[in-house]
Parts: sequence; C-alpha cells; structure tokens
Amino acid sequence: MQTLPDWLNPEPWLNRTFSASEVRQALGAESPDETTLAALLSPAAADFLEPMAARAQALTRRHFGRTVQLYIPLYLSSWCSGGCAYCGFAADRQTDRHALALAAVEKEIDAIKAMGFEEILLLTGERCAQADLDYLRECVHLAAQKIHNVAIEVFPMAEAEYRSLAETGGTGVTLYQETYHQETYDRMHRWGPKKDFFQRLDAPTRALAGGFRFAGLGALLGLADPRYDMLALYRHVRHLQKTFWRAGLTVSFPRIRHEAGGFIPPHPVDEKMLSQIIFAFRICLPDVPLVLSTREGAAFRDGMAGLGINKMSIASKTTVGGYSDKGSEEGQFDISDDRGLDEFCAMLRGKKLEPVFKNWDGVYRLTA
Amino acid sequence: MFLTVNDENYEHHGDGTVAALLTELGATPEHTALTVNGELVFSKDWKVFKFNGGDTVEVLTFVGGG
Amino acid sequence: MKDEQTSLKLGGHEFKSRLILGTGKFSDIETMVRAIEASGTELVTVALRRFNRDKPSDDLCAPLAKLKNVKLMPNTSGAMNSKEAVRAAQLGRELSGSPFVKVEIHPNPHHLMPDAIETYLAAKELAADGFIVLPYIPADPVLAKKLEDVGCAAVMPLGAAIGSGGGLSTADMIQLIIRDSNIPVIVDAGLRAPSEAARAMEMGCAAVLVNSAIAAAKNPVAMARAFALGVETGYAARQAGLMPKSAVAVATSPLTSFLK
Ligand code: SF4
Repeated sequence: MQTLPDWLNPEPWLNRTFSASEVRQALGAESPDETTLAALLSPAAADFLEPMAARAQALTRRHFGRTVQLYIPLYLSSWCSGGCAYCGFAADRQTDRHALALAAVEKEIDAIKAMGFEEILLLTGERCAQADLDYLRECVHLAAQKIHNVAIEVFPMAEAEYRSLAETGGTGVTLYQETYHQETYDRMHRWGPKKDFFQRLDAPTRALAGGFRFAGLGALLGLADPRYDMLALYRHVRHLQKTFWRAGLTVSFPRIRHEAGGFIPPHPVDEKMLSQIIFAFRICLPDVPLVLSTREGAAFRDGMAGLGINKMSIASKTTVGGYSDKGSEEGQFDISDDRGLDEFCAMLRGKKLEPVFKNWDGVYRLTA
Repeated sequence: MFLTVNDENYEHHGDGTVAALLTELGATPEHTALTVNGELVFSKDWKVFKFNGGDTVEVLTFVGGG
Repeated sequence: MKDEQTSLKLGGHEFKSRLILGTGKFSDIETMVRAIEASGTELVTVALRRFNRDKPSDDLCAPLAKLKNVKLMPNTSGAMNSKEAVRAAQLGRELSGSPFVKVEIHPNPHHLMPDAIETYLAAKELAADGFIVLPYIPADPVLAKKLEDVGCAAVMPLGAAIGSGGGLSTADMIQLIIRDSNIPVIVDAGLRAPSEAARAMEMGCAAVLVNSAIAAAKNPVAMARAFALGVETGYAARQAGLMPKSAVAVATSPLTSFLK
C-alpha cells in the first residue's frame, strides 16, 4: 500500500494524550495547528464542550457575522456502478434506479429556484452510462442558466473534464474522501474506480486546477477512527489552502447513521463527539465555512447553527426527482431534518441568524 | 574623445578602452559595473569594447544600502 | 507542522544566521564592518550608485570582500519601475557575482512605500532569469502568494515604513502571510528594537532584515549583537512553542444543552 504523503499523514499527532491544561491552552491558540486540533479532539477536551462552543461561536460571528448560508442538493441519478459498503445506491443494492431526463432536471431546477435557492449541489453516483460526463455537463449548463452557484458532488474526473464543467458554469466541487484511513478505505470500497484511494484524494486538486472556484471536503464519520480522519482532513484542507490560495474551501461533517441497506458503522460518532469535532474545526480553521446537512436532526442542527456551523442544506430530498414530484422510493440516506424552507428560516431568524441564499454572483462568471 | 560620464561632460585622453577610462577615473575595475548608452556592458566584454565619441557612460559601484 | 530545520534556506543556499543586515546609513565603513561581524549575519544588502571620483573611499566592495562568510544581496533601490529594477538587478549581479537580489521599488521618495505592481513585474522577470529574488513588499497576503507563484525565494513584507522605527505595525497581516506561505517570510523595514525582531521570529518569520535600527543606534556594533540575540531568542521561542493566551470564556447561558 502506498504510504500517505507527508503533508497528509496524521500519525505524528495521534497516540498522544492531552491534559486538561493542554486543552485549555489549545482553546486560546493564536496560530492553531495540528497539535491544537489533536488537543481539541482528545478525550480530555470532551469536558470542555461548553467553552469550546463559546469560542467556536465567537469565531463564527467574527468571520461570518450572524449569517447562515443555505444550499439545496439535487439528486440527478441513483444509478451507480460503485460498491461502497455503506451506501444505499451501491450497485448490488436492490433499489429502483432513475436518472432525471433533462426536461425533468429543468423542472426540478425551476422548482428549486422558485423556493429562492441560489446555490445548488448536483449529485450522481459513480460514472455510468446513465449519468456520464456529457449528461452532467448538460445538467450543469441548465442549472447555471438559473442558479448562481452550481456545485457538483459526483465521480472524480480528469482535470480536462473538470475544466469542461467549470467552463459550462460549474463553480464548486464537493468530494469527500470518505475515509483517509487507507486500510478501511480499501475494505469499504469493494470494487470499481472508487477503489483507487489516491485518484480520489487528488480530485479536489484537479478540480481547482481545472478552474473550479470552490472545493468541499469531508470524511464520512463512522467508517474509521474519527481522530485519524479529522486530523487528515484538516491537513488536506491546509494543504489545499496553501496550494490554491484563490480557492474557497468548505468542510462538511457527514455522519453515518442508519443508511438504506442496513450498514452499521464500525466507529459510530455520537452527537457530543460530532459537536466536539465541529467546534475543534472552527477553532483551527476560523475562516473556512463549515457545513451541516439534513442528515442531522432538527434539534442538533438548530443548536449548531452559528455555533461553528455557518452553511446548511435544507428542504432536501435525497430521492431522484423529489422537488417537482412527490417521490416515495428510498434515498441515498435518510433525511433527519425534513422541515421546509420557511420553517427553517423562521428558526434561524428566531436565533437572530440571517439566512443567506447567495454570496457569489454568477455575473462574474466569464464563461457560461 | 568627449564622453558623458555619470551625467558630466568628460574628456577622455586614453585609447577608448574600458581599462583606460577606469584608470583615468581612479576606479577599481573589479568593483565597477558599466552601462554605455543605457546598455549594460559585461566585464567579460571589456577587453574588446571601445568607446565612441559622444557615448553616455555610467560608472557604477556598491554603496551602503538597506 | 513546526519548523524543524535550523538553517534558513533561500534558493538552495543555507544560512545559519537568520538576521540579514542592510549596510546603509552607517557613520563610516569601519563601524559598518564591525557591526556586520558582531551580528553574525551571512547576508547583507548593498545598493548600486554612481562611482564618485572625489570620494573613491565610498567603495564598499573592498571591505565587504574581506568578510569571508558574508554573501551580498544587491538591492534595486533608486529604481522607479520594473524596467529600471531589472536593469539594476543585472548590474548588481554583474558587480557582485551574487544570484541574490532584493527587489525594492519605491517611487515616492518621502514615505518610501513599495510599489506592489512594479515589484511584482520585476520579481517575475528576474525569477525567470535565474535570480534568487527577495521582494520588499507591503504586508499584503494576496501579493505574497502571487510572488510565491512566480518563483520568489522569499517575501519580505514591511513591519512599518522604512526607517520609521514603527515596529511590527503590520503584525496581523504578516501573520496571515506566514499562515499560507510555502516560502520564507522575512520582515524587512520598520523594526526599532531587538524585542520586535524577537516577536517577528516568534510569529513564525524565517528571518528579519534590519538596517536603520542598527546603523542609527548610539552604539551600532553593540546593537548589531543585540539584534542577533533577539532573532535567536525569538526563533528558539518559536521552536519551543509559546503557551497560548487563555481564551476560555464562560457563556452566560449554556450553548450545548441541546446535545443528547
Ligand atoms: S457512495 Fe457514491 S459511489 Fe458509492 S455506491 Fe453510493 S452513490 Fe455509488
């Protein structure tokens, strides 16, 4: 197995115990680094959730004000050639498969636009005949006509392919490494192109080199030791920050709960641990948007809004074609927060947080 | 031959080589750089280089600076 | 990761000392030479000027050539734009045989603030021409990354205006530059006291460049030594890892009561 590159390897910061006073020091770090993060992720820091929350809230307010950025996912296709052990769309799962015809994509985008969204995340599974690059390019093009920020969460591709999507109007690429722990990665990804760890690891680099402006990173919490994954994730972000200094980076914290397919996560992460992770990331990456999706329940999301988290999806359907029809089949994962947009915005405003739909204007895009 | 050296009119009495001019000025060749009519004349070319009457010559050296 | 290397690396050259000295504004050459020796520096800046027939003793080349461990870094001061700076750099290289150049373009003779645009253009051209380029710049994190992209060996943001003794008035911006830089960050200009040099090093600067604070001190030679100690202290403190300030705030009402 190829070893992790130096800039990514989290090993030097693992297997270190931290005392309460070291956690307290990490809380006040002026230039946070890996040691700061390791301290804040340590078991000792679990007793400091309240001060960590206070610090995370203060930093979030300082950098983002009292705002929460909103986006909505659109599942284009549930076809997938992949074999991810934890996913309801894996090729060996029995599920009704669909790919939206372009006319239906347009209908969905209109429905989303009518709701007021200006940032959309288009999703597919692994590359397959039903949803290939040409199809994706058409979809990005349709979305970019109407929506300012068009991000994709799809299969990794070559730099030239990313460039063709960026030129069509794509602005962001979300691509989670799932886990940075290679041995776990290999076990979870049973076949197909996704088996290639490094090909996936490099994809955000190729996307940014290909002209995308934003890259979203993350690891699927539950697959491997969360401290290993979160330290590697942090190092991945820092590496990209230094290399692509023009790029906007975001970090998400998807947590495996009860997926369709009945996968049981080997390293379950509970709410307390998840909040500790999010606070730690806010303290160590004060100016990077941190994202929380509707995988999480309403109470947790309400609590975390503004407390480290400053970007959220809402009104999501993880089924294909969920916005203009009332789909009822199984999605990629279960939605835990199924509130509508209005209800959610009312909640945010109740917490004195302003929902923001657009923070980048497509008018700056020279190629569309 | 008449030259302009460091912005001043200057009458050169030698044979028009760099060595002759620098000796006349009292400058140490290894501590000197030269431009003629705005162009850098590299020290490796000094042996073959000859001034023409009317040339504008800058004779430069290092001084203290931050 | 913490910086573990102990020598300063600039374009493939290694320096044990992290103090770079400017050679201007000294009362006489002898004091300058002794200050250089006392500072332990291995890299000094020099400026290009017209040869003065009436004062051939101004010539710095001879005394500097005697300092065996000291490399020269010609600057481009006096240049008003990138074209002039490129030519000054070429003259400097011709004269010194040194690949180092401090790109310095400050068109306004009063405040001497660097021209970011011309500096960028000159740095780009000189880096492509094989120079080891160290540009003197405003403390601007975006400019710093752009200069890294075109191949500069380091960036040298100002701590305060040249000769002002204003200290590290740009500390926040310098911190941002250091955070995302893959090349050494060297504070140039503005420092007055060795404690400020120490602070710059504690922040993560790779070196500091000092001129006025030493040349204009009551005792320049002793001050050169004091700056060497300040730089060493700050660097050692950085390696040792400062204790963070405590930032444990207590919220009036609990923020995490929603957690299950
Ligand atoms: S995670 Fe993605 S690639 Fe893997 S099976 Fe699910 S849809 Fe396919």
